[in-house]
Amino acid sequence: MNEVLTQEKSIYIQISEMIENDILRDVLLEEERVPSTNELARLYSINPATAAKGINLLVDNGILYKKRGIGMFVSKGAKEIIMKKRKNEFADKFLKTLLIEADSLGITKEELIAMIEKWSVEKNQ
Amino acid sequence: MENLKCENVKKIYGKKEVLKGINLELEKGKIYGLIGRNGAGKTTLLSILSAQNPASEGNVTLDGEKVWENQKVIDHICFSREISPMSGNGQNTLRIKDYLKAASIFYPNWNKELAEELVEKFKLEKKKKVCKLSKGMLSMLTIIIALASEAEYTFLDEPVAGLDVVARDMFYKLLLREYTKSGRTFVISTHIIEEAADIFEEVIIVNQGNILLKENTQELLDRAVHVSGKAEDVTASIEGLKCCRKELIGRSMGATVMLRPGEKIKENASVSVQKLNLEKLFVALCGEEV
Repeated sequence: MNEVLTQEKSIYIQISEMIENDILRDVLLEEERVPSTNELARLYSINPATAAKGINLLVDNGILYKKRGIGMFVSKGAKEIIMKKRKNEFADKFLKTLLIEADSLGITKEELIAMIEKWSVEKNQ
Repeated sequence: MENLKCENVKKIYGKKEVLKGINLELEKGKIYGLIGRNGAGKTTLLSILSAQNPASEGNVTLDGEKVWENQKVIDHICFSREISPMSGNGQNTLRIKDYLKAASIFYPNWNKELAEELVEKFKLEKKKKVCKLSKGMLSMLTIIIALASEAEYTFLDEPVAGLDVVARDMFYKLLLREYTKSGRTFVISTHIIEEAADIFEEVIIVNQGNILLKENTQELLDRAVHVSGKAEDVTASIEGLKCCRKELIGRSMGATVMLRPGEKIKENASVSVQKLNLEKLFVALCGEEV
C-alpha cells in the first residue's frame, strides 16, 4: 500500500553503471574512446548535463580519463577498479536489503548461511 | 548575450492576479522545463518574457536591457505559440508555407534549410491550409518555427500536445540535436512531465501565479523520497523532516518528503523508502485533496 510502483535510480548513476557494465563485458575496451556526453544525451534523450554527471563519476573513480580536445577514454586497469569498487559496495547494496528482509521474516543467521550453501550447491549442478 | 531576468513581474487581468510577483533568472545555455497546473500562469509568463504581452508591474531584462518594445533584444527571443485553426472571422486559411515565410522575415537567425528538413521529417504538406491541420500537425508547425528560429532564447508552450508518441520522441531528439549544436536556451512547458523530465536541466514549477521552485532536476529528484509503512513508524522515521504530502489508508501511511542538505531517512525494516519521479513529486507539491 502507498508504495510508488516504479522505483528508479538517478539517471546519471544509471549512465555510469551502463558504461561500467560495457567495460566489464568488453563492449568498451581499455584505451578506447567512450561516447561523448552529447552522443549519450541524444541516444537516451537526456540532458547533456546529466550525461556529463554520470561520466564525471567515472572520471573521479579513475575508470575514465580525459584526453584534452579528443574526448573521454577507458583507463588502463579500469576493469579491476570497477570490480574492486563493486566488491566494496556489495555489502551495502545487496547484504543490507537481504538482512532487512531476513530479519522481518525471522530468519536466523544460521538459517541464512545454510540457505546460501544449499543454493551454491544447486547452482553448480 | 547574458541572462534573461524577470523582476517582481505581476500580471493582473481585471481583478484577477495571474502572476503574483515573479522573480526568475534564466541562464544562457540551459533547457528549462516549465510545469504547473492548468491556469497556473505558464503561458502568461512566457508571453511576458518574450514581450508579446506587457507586464502589469515589474521588469524583464536581457543583458540588463529592457525587453518590452526593444527590437534589438526581441530579435534574440522566440516564443512559438500555439497556432489556432480559427482566425478572427472564421477559418484560418493561411497555409503552412505562409507561416514559414512570415517566420523567416520575423526571426533574423531563421534557418531555412532546417525548416525544410523538419517539414519533411514531420511529413507536412506546405500547401495545406492551417484550418485543415490536425492538433498534432499544428504542434509540429510550432515546433518547426521554434527550432528554425535559432533564437538564443526559445520558448515552447506545450509543444508535444496532440503529438503521437513517435512524433514526441522525434521532437525530444531534434531538440537535443539543436541544443547540443548551438547551446541555445530553451524553456519548454508541458503536462507530459515524466516523458520530458530527463531532458530538463532545471525544472521551474509554477503554482497559482508564483514560482514554487526552480532547481536542477536531478538534484530535486535526489532529495525527494516516499516513505511508507505503519503510520507510527513512518511518522517516527520522518520526524523533523519536511513532509509535503501524507496519505493514509487504515494503519498504513505514505509520506512524500523533501530532504534538505545532509538529511537522511532512518531506514529500517518497518518502512519502505522509495525514489519519486517528477510527476509524482509534482502531484505531491501541487495536488489537492479529493
